[in-house]
Amino acid sequence: MMRELPEEVLNLDEKIIAFIRRGIDHQDSREFKRLALNVFELQFKYISIYRRYCEKRGINPENITSWEQIPALPTDVFKVMDLSMFPAQTVRTFMTSGTKRPEERGKVHYDEGGLRLMDATIYEAASAFLFPDKIRTTILIIAPSPETAPHMIMAYGMNRLKEYFGGARSRFLIGKERFEVQALVDELHCSEEDGTPVTVCGGSFGFVNFFDYCREKGLKFKLPAGSRSLDAGGFKGRSRGVEREEFLNSCEKFLRIKKDYCVNLLGMTEVSSQFYDNNLKNACKGLDIPKAKVNPPWTRTLTVDPDTLEPLSPGEEGLLRHVDLANRGTILAIQTDDLGRITPEGFEIFGRSKQDITRGCSLTIDEMTQIKQEG
Amino acid sequence: METIEIDAYYLPPDFRNQVKSFRIEVYQGERSMVRLKIPSVSRSLIDTLTDHLKASRRFYLARLPIEHIIDVLDEASRKWLDKSYPLRELALKAIPTITGFSREAVEASIDVEMESSLREDVWRALCSEIKNPLYLDDFQYSSELNGYSRAFGPELIVSIFSGNIPALPHLLFMRSLLVKAACLGKVAGGEPTFAPLYLKTIEEIDPEIAKSLAVLYWKGGEDDVEEAVFNQSDAVILFGGVEACQSLLPKIPRKVRTLIHGHKLGFGMIGRRRLTHQGLEELASAVAEDCSMFDQHACLAPHVYYLEKGGEVTPKEFCQALAKAMDALNIRMPRGKISPGEASVINQLRAQYEFRELGGEEIQLWASPRGTDWTVVYEKDPGTFLPSPLNRFIRLIGVEDIFQILPNLKSIGSYLQNAAVAIGDEREKEFIGRLGELGVARITSPGKMSIPSMMWHHDGISPLTHLLRWCDIEKKERIGGMGEKD
Repeated sequence: MMRELPEEVLNLDEKIIAFIRRGIDHQDSREFKRLALNVFELQFKYISIYRRYCEKRGINPENITSWEQIPALPTDVFKVMDLSMFPAQTVRTFMTSGTKRPEERGKVHYDEGGLRLMDATIYEAASAFLFPDKIRTTILIIAPSPETAPHMIMAYGMNRLKEYFGGARSRFLIGKERFEVQALVDELHCSEEDGTPVTVCGGSFGFVNFFDYCREKGLKFKLPAGSRSLDAGGFKGRSRGVEREEFLNSCEKFLRIKKDYCVNLLGMTEVSSQFYDNNLKNACKGLDIPKAKVNPPWTRTLTVDPDTLEPLSPGEEGLLRHVDLANRGTILAIQTDDLGRITPEGFEIFGRSKQDITRGCSLTIDEMTQIKQEG
Repeated sequence: METIEIDAYYLPPDFRNQVKSFRIEVYQGERSMVRLKIPSVSRSLIDTLTDHLKASRRFYLARLPIEHIIDVLDEASRKWLDKSYPLRELALKAIPTITGFSREAVEASIDVEMESSLREDVWRALCSEIKNPLYLDDFQYSSELNGYSRAFGPELIVSIFSGNIPALPHLLFMRSLLVKAACLGKVAGGEPTFAPLYLKTIEEIDPEIAKSLAVLYWKGGEDDVEEAVFNQSDAVILFGGVEACQSLLPKIPRKVRTLIHGHKLGFGMIGRRRLTHQGLEELASAVAEDCSMFDQHACLAPHVYYLEKGGEVTPKEFCQALAKAMDALNIRMPRGKISPGEASVINQLRAQYEFRELGGEEIQLWASPRGTDWTVVYEKDPGTFLPSPLNRFIRLIGVEDIFQILPNLKSIGSYLQNAAVAIGDEREKEFIGRLGELGVARITSPGKMSIPSMMWHHDGISPLTHLLRWCDIEKKERIGGMGEKD
């Protein structure tokens, strides 16, 4: 199937992969810009509906000179439109979560080359931010496997982590029916006994449920030094800051993983690359840098005004917009509805902006369905 | 920068010294800062206050002739309509800072509410519901009964307000006074200042009446306070979302009459005969008014306007005219400030429509030149009722025939409320009849959606009658002391 992608696309993919493989310890902005404009050029050429969207805004590859000018695609458009560069070459489709109605879930299609780019980002970013000490751990995943959840991008990504970095006992712990909590308990005991460090990873809520279980059963583990946690997602609907502290305390209390070894990850179905917190990297390298989500060199993040969508200055709170070279197969620049701000080290994310909507004597479809279910 | 100190409460003049503990909440606007003074509310405060309100009512309000009460309400409305009235000016400074609504929108809201609360309207509202307002004062002869009847209001009404519309709580205090009930209102965190100011006006006019009225604020979910307040009440009126109402209902004793004004959805329908070149601009302005008033936060606001195809003006031509009118109105009465989330929802939805339009679907999008100030979307019938994300976002849907929309409306059943209807031919009567059957509670003309009269059966309920208890005398023999029928 690879042969069916046009030559110019394969060539560009090679260049992007080479750029990603250079790792995260450089800031080659010139090469980023060159590649970003190159990606835009091909997306403009091959994705006709995106081309018309750009043309309406008077933008084409000839008249822009920086990646900041590339029109961003709002995430919700994936709910109504196929925006892949080569729909016929789709080998994998990931879907957004958050609603039970399949027609309202965003769908992101990947061609073989796009998947290869994502694989490269997973390897490089995890090497830098999750395993800066190059230790091989048993990776225990509180998430379903790709076979169980073929459309869940987290399942795909965690599986790659397991393949690239995991020891022999690494495994997924959410089966078709349920969370295999006893298996997790057994693996953690096993690690305590044989001294192999563990990486517990999965959705943030999965951790919370596991901590509740530990509390109820009076379980506390003393995981070997070098053990760590990777949680992705967040705590939708709760105030920021507080729950993170609680989470870190629980990791220490129930797993004996110190907060330096608890890494949070921002991953999105619409963005191929992942954004890790830099705390474990800082701890391992002895760097005294404030914690932040860090943009690997093949990505950029900026904030925009929620109302006008115009770029804001660093430090100002706004909606996050990500530019990701690994998004070659869909759209390079993605406009999210996450609130955050740019810091000197990277960026901070505060949560979904939609959480704050409480005004108006109206009701959402969701509220109506709830009522219907309650009957 | 101007600092405005304002009370988020109202206590009767002879009760004020009983509250000693307050906190201050600060709202920072662009031009002014509002410092809200909020009293601490406890179960014991509720108990003593409600006793006080009931006693004041017994000694004064309950004995007042209805005519005097109407005079007071009329005078209050007139004061608020006077542009130089100091409390109006204070409200116009504070409310925009607290709510984000533009000053022009708050001004319009006050004018709309007060213009429909003058003597004539109040009197007609009473007559429409209870025929003879004097039933509220004493036993009156009723020829249907061939006897005498008198109506009694509750002792104490407790009302829980929602914060979406600035000048709405005054309506509840008016209704309470009309049935001679003491009233304790709980304002919403979103807009706690208008109700206290309105009661100050009542105090200016008749301080004895004001002794039966109070406004407090507490955080929803304080079980202790809420149980106390509901236990003391004879009637409860709830405004607000499904969740808020559902959490309160179990706390209300069964003997207490409860009225719920929950969330509702409005819409409009314009038939082909009314889509003509003549009057196009006026009609578009009227629809723009409906879609812009209170930035669609009122339950009366339209989420969708249906346009019937086959008229002299096509639905898309009408949308074009509406877009122009929305823009003009936004200059005259700017959209309020909205949260990042509200803005993001609009931008995401606009993008979906834009891409669908580019993809060749029968869709067209008109949007404010900058930001999310207003959005007009034309699309063909999606076969379901799509609620608007509000804040001046209106969908216009082209339909082949007016009756085609009825199945869509059926799906939202009990949430139906307000409809603007302009058909202009003989089908109008049948159409309106069908809307009534489906649950629509108010049918009006485009441009009038946000201006219900005092006489309206609010959410399909007779709001005054519902609060009253009747005593009938059915006796053949003459009653000592009772006047003969005249």
